[in-house]
Amino acid sequence: MRNVKRTWNVNGERRTAEFPPMRRLLDVLRNDLGLKGSKEGCGEGECGACTIILNGDPVVSCLIPAGQIADGSEIITVEGLEKTDSGRILQQAYIEKGAVQCGFCIPGMIVSSYSLLSKNSNPSNREIREAHAGNLCRCTGYENIVKAVRRAAEQWPAGKRVTSA
Amino acid sequence: MYIQSILKQVLIIFLSLKAANQALKRSRASPYDKGSRSIRATLGYFLHTLNLRLRLREIMPDTKTNPAGVVGKGVARLDAEDKVRGRSGYVDDLEIPGCWIGHLVRSLVPHGRLRGLKRDPYFDWSRVVVATPKDIPGINVVVMHDRSMPLLAFDEVRYLGEPLALVAAPTARLASEAAASITPEIDALTPILTLNELVSLFKSEDPRLFRLSSQTIVKGDVEKGLSEADHVVEGEYTAGHQEQLYLEPQGMVALPEANGGVFIQGSLQCPYYVVQELHEALNLPPGKIRVKQAAVGGAFGGKEDFPTLLGGYCALLALKSGRPVKIVFDRNQDIRYTTKRHPAWVRHRTGLKKDGTITAMRVDYLLDGGAYLTLSDVVMYRGMLHAAMGYRCENIFVNGLVARTNTFPSGAFRGFGAPQAIWGLESHIDKLAQACGMEPHEFRLKNGLRLGDTTPTGQVLEEMGAVRVLDEALKKSGFDGKIRRCSHGRRGEKKWYGIGVSFFAHGSGFTGDGESRIGTKAALDLDFGLDAKPLVSVRVSSTEIGQGSATALSQIAADELSVGIESVGCPYPDTALVPNSGPTVASRTTMIVGATVHGAAVKMKKALEEYASDTFFKGQSAVLKGGFFRCGSKTFSFQEVAGDYLKQEGPLHIVHQFTLPPTIKWDQKTFRGDAYPGYSWGCNVAEVEVDPVTLEIHLKRVTSCYDIGRVINPLLAKGQIEGGLTQAAGYALMEKIGIKGGRFDADRLQTYIIPTALDIPEYEIHFIEFPYEHAAPGAKGVGEIPMDGLAPATANAVYQATGLRMTDLPITPEKLYERLNEKR
Amino acid sequence: MKTIEDIECLFPCNLAEALAIQADERTRGKPIAGGTDLMVQWASGVLPISERSVSLAAVAELKGILEAENEVVIGAAVTHAELRRSSLIQHHFPSLAAAAATVGGLQIQARGTIAGNVANASPAGDLVPSLLISEGVVVVVSASGERTVPLDRFYLAYRKVALMPDELIARFILPKPKPGHREVFRKLGTRAAQAISKVVGSCRGRVEDGVIKYCRVALGSVAPVPVRLMEFESWIAGRKVDPTMLDEAEKVVSSLIKPIDDIRSTAEYRKWVSGRLVRSMLEEMVVN
Repeated sequence: MRNVKRTWNVNGERRTAEFPPMRRLLDVLRNDLGLKGSKEGCGEGECGACTIILNGDPVVSCLIPAGQIADGSEIITVEGLEKTDSGRILQQAYIEKGAVQCGFCIPGMIVSSYSLLSKNSNPSNREIREAHAGNLCRCTGYENIVKAVRRAAEQWPAGKRVTSA
Repeated sequence: MYIQSILKQVLIIFLSLKAANQALKRSRASPYDKGSRSIRATLGYFLHTLNLRLRLREIMPDTKTNPAGVVGKGVARLDAEDKVRGRSGYVDDLEIPGCWIGHLVRSLVPHGRLRGLKRDPYFDWSRVVVATPKDIPGINVVVMHDRSMPLLAFDEVRYLGEPLALVAAPTARLASEAAASITPEIDALTPILTLNELVSLFKSEDPRLFRLSSQTIVKGDVEKGLSEADHVVEGEYTAGHQEQLYLEPQGMVALPEANGGVFIQGSLQCPYYVVQELHEALNLPPGKIRVKQAAVGGAFGGKEDFPTLLGGYCALLALKSGRPVKIVFDRNQDIRYTTKRHPAWVRHRTGLKKDGTITAMRVDYLLDGGAYLTLSDVVMYRGMLHAAMGYRCENIFVNGLVARTNTFPSGAFRGFGAPQAIWGLESHIDKLAQACGMEPHEFRLKNGLRLGDTTPTGQVLEEMGAVRVLDEALKKSGFDGKIRRCSHGRRGEKKWYGIGVSFFAHGSGFTGDGESRIGTKAALDLDFGLDAKPLVSVRVSSTEIGQGSATALSQIAADELSVGIESVGCPYPDTALVPNSGPTVASRTTMIVGATVHGAAVKMKKALEEYASDTFFKGQSAVLKGGFFRCGSKTFSFQEVAGDYLKQEGPLHIVHQFTLPPTIKWDQKTFRGDAYPGYSWGCNVAEVEVDPVTLEIHLKRVTSCYDIGRVINPLLAKGQIEGGLTQAAGYALMEKIGIKGGRFDADRLQTYIIPTALDIPEYEIHFIEFPYEHAAPGAKGVGEIPMDGLAPATANAVYQATGLRMTDLPITPEKLYERLNEKR
Repeated sequence: MKTIEDIECLFPCNLAEALAIQADERTRGKPIAGGTDLMVQWASGVLPISERSVSLAAVAELKGILEAENEVVIGAAVTHAELRRSSLIQHHFPSLAAAAATVGGLQIQARGTIAGNVANASPAGDLVPSLLISEGVVVVVSASGERTVPLDRFYLAYRKVALMPDELIARFILPKPKPGHREVFRKLGTRAAQAISKVVGSCRGRVEDGVIKYCRVALGSVAPVPVRLMEFESWIAGRKVDPTMLDEAEKVVSSLIKPIDDIRSTAEYRKWVSGRLVRSMLEEMVVN
């Protein structure tokens, strides 16, 4: 039960936290680092509301013991999206296309969108749906989310890639 | 005026002839209709449409709009930005210094007598606070529709998980340990646990069936109608529980206030319910219970009444400990220990003439209410009122009841009894069509309610939308051609194709005399906003739970005041700051609360016009239009006048109360009259492909048409439909949860299955607008109607695809296989 | 009340360190790689909270997909996403690549590992039927050395694999299939994505002139362990593919399995649909 210390690059900033190694990454982000955007919807990796991007891949942070995440790892949470042009484009598309209702799935959902477009800025409908299949939404029926991602894809800045592990 | 009235009459005759001609064409296209019958039917239809009350508004949609106004536009919702930035404060995000965590001590058996609560003597009880029924300051009762449910059980335990005591501690771990150190001592009694048991007890008239509530609807003489029938068709239809599965689990926090009262905040739909239902238990005057919503991550009815309980537990602990106390459920606790849709059994017995006329409809409608009444009587009413609704029939008898089981009390979930009723009705209608040798859509077109017809409770239909939505959806889906191409389980086909339809109403607003009793109030405040510009704030108790109410209500106010949406806000309701607009339920918010906001806006507009006249136009009367106060050639902007008003007079506070027109009459005792102030109408056409290899059912396409009156925001309305249809698809095909060993079996997201982005069909959604005339600006309800029709439309499509009539929800490959085997 | 946070966790940087930790009873802990099954089982109470855990996240020797002349070697900690993306796997073991694409959603695929899917010992492990038809082996290591276990002898009983407490899975060695073999994968879930299977199956075979020359079939979720249907494989070898044979094949498959009722499906349906899935896999193999 001895704490470990980790320093990560979170949303473009160096952040350090000290915590019991088996504390869930979601809890470290929310409580130790004060990033309340990512949500807990199920605690078992099914709903995707806790999705973040870890070293280029979308992951569910409620299933990750934070001690496993090495120093220097790159983490992007919903709060990081507004720091980039592409993130802001995506946010605007979500707003415009009515992709938001209660908003609870949105932090995880929009991070999954960001992850998809960063790797594939011209996804097919099927690819969009597959990329979001791990993000449950109970309000929207997913239609407007797909439309929002397509809209963002149309405007996605060329050459934007997030490195994958 | 005279010429206008003649033109109106000519127009009506012309349109009636047109409609009759279309009906004739349609009936001629059907191989099942004989020529002479068609002409009779057509003449009847012509005379019927001519027999309207001759008001032009009923034929053509009201186009009185402010073209520059914001109602009717798909404006982006006001809270979208915060939500996409991850900045919305849901209850578990709130930073509350010194907050302790609460935990519940629960019964481990579904039914029994509580002898006592044993505390582990080795636990250090000084580190925590415990609350038992003895600590309840007032009467241990949660005041809902009866007084049978305690806040904490103390004698008879009626469901597994029923709270017996509460613990609060500085950490979740300690609270959980403390709760585990209290052992309830219960003498178990025999429980009744399932709908199947209730149905057996009902059929055998067993006295052990305990009725929490019952009611009948009587129209004409159903036995006479049955005796006059050429065919009598029976059917039984069942549906299990459904979990609302809002993405944000339930959570509340309570803070003790300096005045001895309590401030309760959390994920809820009805702030005033919390006040009304808890003040006796907490022994506090309503004014000392302050309730505010946090951001709400979905509700769908699941947060209508349960937050009162959760808030009550937190309040009790907060008052006892003198500290803030929070309880946020994890998903597993949420599924196990919160309300669900009522399981239902619906039995139809219908009399038909050979030509497809319905002579009698007899319906038994039985709900599993769980352990306490809570709000199940109104669920039952609503279900009953929809159980035979939508079709012309002079003889109707609906026998409704809610019976008790030893399970978690059933509660509200989008539709509130109507989805179950319509599941039974619309499945049965297909059976009726078949009995008469008619196609499903022809039977509905023939018998569907039209303007001037009467409902089961004798309400005269004032609405055009009814058969129109059916017409439109059938046309847009190409139903007529596709119904003839269905597979019927033929061998050798790679995929079995089927198409099915459902046609339904959803009563908007509270059932019966509910809206008259509530006295809905809305307020508008004009004051300077944070940017020092005049800002209108909508003050209602309606909660923004994802449906977009804050935006829609703001649009209504903005439209009437002819300002842009950026000049209006709708902050989260806080009972200290908002009047009681009634609960956020029953598809009433846009319709009734919207009308109340509209009324307040009309008053505010008048007040500002008067001020403008006096102050800017030297006493000459000014009119606010297009964002400007105008008199002659002079104009002053809303901002100028409002800003000036605020400087001179201070904030402007307007309150308006909603009243139903006296023409809407309901008799609760006889259960007759105008059951709802208005009805939204809908039609769903579902197309499925069933895989003969695995019997998997794929919902490929849903074409739907709705009349929800005036569409305030098409983007939001469409979003509601898409979301609701997706929930209905889950209800129809994959959401399965039952009681095993006294508790819910599918109690985690691994096992309670809801649709993902890869599971949804193509949606085609159309609106036909017939503005509601009794509440400006003419909206009707949209929140629940998307839930109502997809399950039966899907079952009807599955029948056309496979030849198998499925009568239990959800429809699964396993059940199809079982039926196929029975057939062999 | 123990929670996951109470677990003492060690983070070895290489395999030798990890094995030394496991060799000593006092330091030995529950191995965790991606954690996508384990964290759920701890959280839900299905598994009691372990005293200690050993994270394999930093052990580089467990990563990587390597090609040898006659086989492909897959490191234990290769993720579903990596399996899916790998052209080697897509080419030689298309069923395995297809299976990896159906595990959870993208988020689970990015973290869950092949060894995790196997060591979890669930009868519903999505990758396992594809591994079983490959007739490959699992290489298991401990501080005392390595041993090799054929995959179809790795499953001992419900939730039990042939791993000693001090052992870790190091890698999988799958022989490259001979030319002319085709592979098919099927998964039947409760919904289109992110579903635990009702039935999951893989089939590899060679068909010549409409006759099944060679066939390997494995199913999951129909028995306490994932199973290779060896009696079926013997039965079908040398038979001509026609509707009558396929009708009978369905019945043979159904007769060989004893599935159960559970929250996802019924024994009856599983028994029947397993036959249907195998038939459909055989039909697909013949098509080319």
